[in-house]
Amino acid sequence: MLVVLALSLAVGASGSRSPRTEADRVNAIASEVRCPTCRSLSAAESDAKAAGAVKEEIRTRLRAGQSDAEIRGYLASRYGKDILLRPDATGLAGLVWSIPVALLLVALAGLFAAFRRWRGVVPPPTDEERALVEEALRSS
Amino acid sequence: MSKWIALALGSVLVALVAVLATREPAQNTLAKSPLVGKPAPEVIGTGLDGSTVRLSSLRGRYVVVNFFATWCTPCLQEHDDLMRFAERHRSTGDASIVAVLFDDEPANARTFFAKRGGNWPVIEDVSGKVALDFGVRGPPESYVVGPDGTVLAKYVGQVTDTGLDRLLAQAEGSSP
Repeated sequence: MLVVLALSLAVGASGSRSPRTEADRVNAIASEVRCPTCRSLSAAESDAKAAGAVKEEIRTRLRAGQSDAEIRGYLASRYGKDILLRPDATGLAGLVWSIPVALLLVALAGLFAAFRRWRGVVPPPTDEERALVEEALRSS
Repeated sequence: MSKWIALALGSVLVALVAVLATREPAQNTLAKSPLVGKPAPEVIGTGLDGSTVRLSSLRGRYVVVNFFATWCTPCLQEHDDLMRFAERHRSTGDASIVAVLFDDEPANARTFFAKRGGNWPVIEDVSGKVALDFGVRGPPESYVVGPDGTVLAKYVGQVTDTGLDRLLAQAEGSSP
């Protein structure tokens, strides 16, 4: 079961391809960045001037060959990490993501072990029970 | 009984409105910024008079980088304080102001300065790049840059001349 779960996660992760065009990449990064002057919109969703500046900066940095992570890092170095809509998956923030997964795996492993133990402690049938079963089979 | 409860609630509401209406607006509110303690981003922009403004050319003195807009009420309220601050430091030459227009038309800023006074450089920042480099979320925001080019503090909201001077005095006291 654990193997199936791990395989499903791996297939799911490899299935998400990175966007192809520059506009797609700009939009993908901008959708993970909060619009600086809006309350609950991403820079991709907003028409505010500040959101436009963010998108332009992303485009400029992509053309300069920077990675998505480098661009997100730059924006966080100016506004703080709360400008990012998706928390960083490293350091302390990474624990927020990894702990629930680890707990789920531990719980599944515990259940697996418990089922095995329960199967092992079932007592063998007594002679009286065997006789009852044989009689029931004969009569049917 | 319900009459007395309504009266009590009404009195509390009136008192609350009175407190909120009469209290002083928040001033000199320091805010966290990843830039504090780091070198200030270079600012190169076109001033309202068409000249090129460069923040690094002011190295050796304190610079207040003030992001403002003419549609922003706290910006109007702090303008007189900025005037006093600029005037006080004009003779000593130890501090100056660079304003950056935030999401506003240069023509509005020209009218604003012609009417209200103030002769410090104002950068148009048409693209919003300067505001992005400083991580500005909305005006007014002011960044105090030290003589060595390090960002000393970020203020969100209205600043006062005395508040800025207090910060400069603290910076002078802590510098070796």
